[in-house]
Amino acid sequence: MGEKRKIPIKAGYFTIPENASDPPRLLGSRCQRCGEHYFPRRAICAKASCLAEDLVDVELGPQGTLYSFTFVHMPLFGSSNLEHMDGYGVGQIDLPEGPRVQLPLAGRKEDYYIGQPLIAELDKLREEGDADVVIVRFRPVAEGGA
Amino acid sequence: MRDVAVLGVGMYRFGMWDVPNAVMAREAGLAALRDANLSFRDVQAAYVGHIFAPVMSAVRVMKEFGLTGLPVQHVENASATGSAAFREACLQVAAGTYDVVMVLGFDKMTTMIQQSTQGTAPENMEDAILPAAFFALWATRRMYERGMKPEHLAKIAAKNWNNGALNPMAQRQPQEPMTPERVLRSRMVAWPLTTMMSCPMGDGAACAIVGRADLAKRLRPDRPVVRVVASALQTEKYAPGHLFMGPIVGPAQMTIDTAAQAYNEASVGPEDLDLVQVHDAFAIEELEYYELLGLCKPGEAEKCIENGDFELGGRIPVSTDGGLIARGHPGGPTGLAQIWETTLQLRGEAGKRQIEGARIGLCHMMGGGSVCVIHILQRD
Ligand SMILES: [Zn+2]
Repeated sequence: MGEKRKIPIKAGYFTIPENASDPPRLLGSRCQRCGEHYFPRRAICAKASCLAEDLVDVELGPQGTLYSFTFVHMPLFGSSNLEHMDGYGVGQIDLPEGPRVQLPLAGRKEDYYIGQPLIAELDKLREEGDADVVIVRFRPVAEGGA
Repeated sequence: MRDVAVLGVGMYRFGMWDVPNAVMAREAGLAALRDANLSFRDVQAAYVGHIFAPVMSAVRVMKEFGLTGLPVQHVENASATGSAAFREACLQVAAGTYDVVMVLGFDKMTTMIQQSTQGTAPENMEDAILPAAFFALWATRRMYERGMKPEHLAKIAAKNWNNGALNPMAQRQPQEPMTPERVLRSRMVAWPLTTMMSCPMGDGAACAIVGRADLAKRLRPDRPVVRVVASALQTEKYAPGHLFMGPIVGPAQMTIDTAAQAYNEASVGPEDLDLVQVHDAFAIEELEYYELLGLCKPGEAEKCIENGDFELGGRIPVSTDGGLIARGHPGGPTGLAQIWETTLQLRGEAGKRQIEGARIGLCHMMGGGSVCVIHILQRD
């Protein structure tokens, strides 16, 4: 019962670890001039005071802190794949490197509170041939560490 | 913004209509021309606001009025489309390029949604977050930081529904007074936002004729001149915590900065305003904009809502025509519906919604969380 091959919904946003129990890492950029980190990757630093073009690729996360969250109860724009009976979660998560990301949350509303430590995981969106198309979402860090 | 006035305004009632864009646009445009005491022959240029537009729809729809050879420009900036088109027209009049310009906004949101739901699965990371969610994220954070309760949002929404009941152009016109309790009981969209705290889908059109202020007096000596005394448009500036992926509500600083620019240009402050229209696609937005526009101090929105400060008859009425929540938000025309309402209020022609002696009004729209447009109108 080997794991199916995983392919990201879109290349360049996150890693797919070889070991399935490892968390994925978000793929971002760091400005070599001012040190600011960005997700997703970008070519030019966004700070008006910098605008440097010497950004390098970096891996971000996989842990973060919950800044805000909601659970959505209406499928819209065809995204019913992410819908659960109790709605599906969306969170804004502050990564330790600085960027705030906005991504789906696992589980139920009762699982979450602002300020909570979260960790990234892969979530299967759909099957495509012999592969699973996956997206990144966050879930609470398990009791006693990740 | 010197010497620019709103010469006329017109609307095609917002709602769910089996009527083509061209017909709604024509009706709104003709109403505005009649209101201005002008004929289409007098219009020297047109700026058209339309979202999800097929190629050349602005030019095509303008042919409904006749083929006079006038220059036509299509402006699009998401929800701020109508406001952005209005700004372009005002700038051209201020620059002396034209004396009379038509600004026309129209949309059929029902068709837009059909077009954008043809795919059945998210195709990229952006699609993973739905519009219903991103304002809810703002609300959750506000509850955490400021102790806001869903009841505050329900009170804002109920106010707007009740204002809509007084506006013949509003999409939602409740037959009985709307209560916060009923708003809270409606279906949950994205916790803590319910359907009745959210704007409806709809269709509609709105038009403003802008021109040289001296023309306003000459064309309609029977009523006060309504001047455009500020037009400000800004996009985001980078700040820590900025979101680069997925739909966003936009950084709070963007509204603060755009408002500061508008107040400065008009030489007025928030304390001078008699009424305000905001982008209240969801009730949490209106609450945040009370503070970001300076209508109350940071952290005091909840208390002011409890006081009824923003209701008709309150200290500074907001979303007097029902706002996006009740008047509706078809897209392209929404910013022009705000101009319609503010112009009528400043002329003293707003019927049961009339704010006694209204002299200065502000219109605020957000586009895709990345653009803020603010206009200030002032009666002579
Ligand atoms: Zn930099």
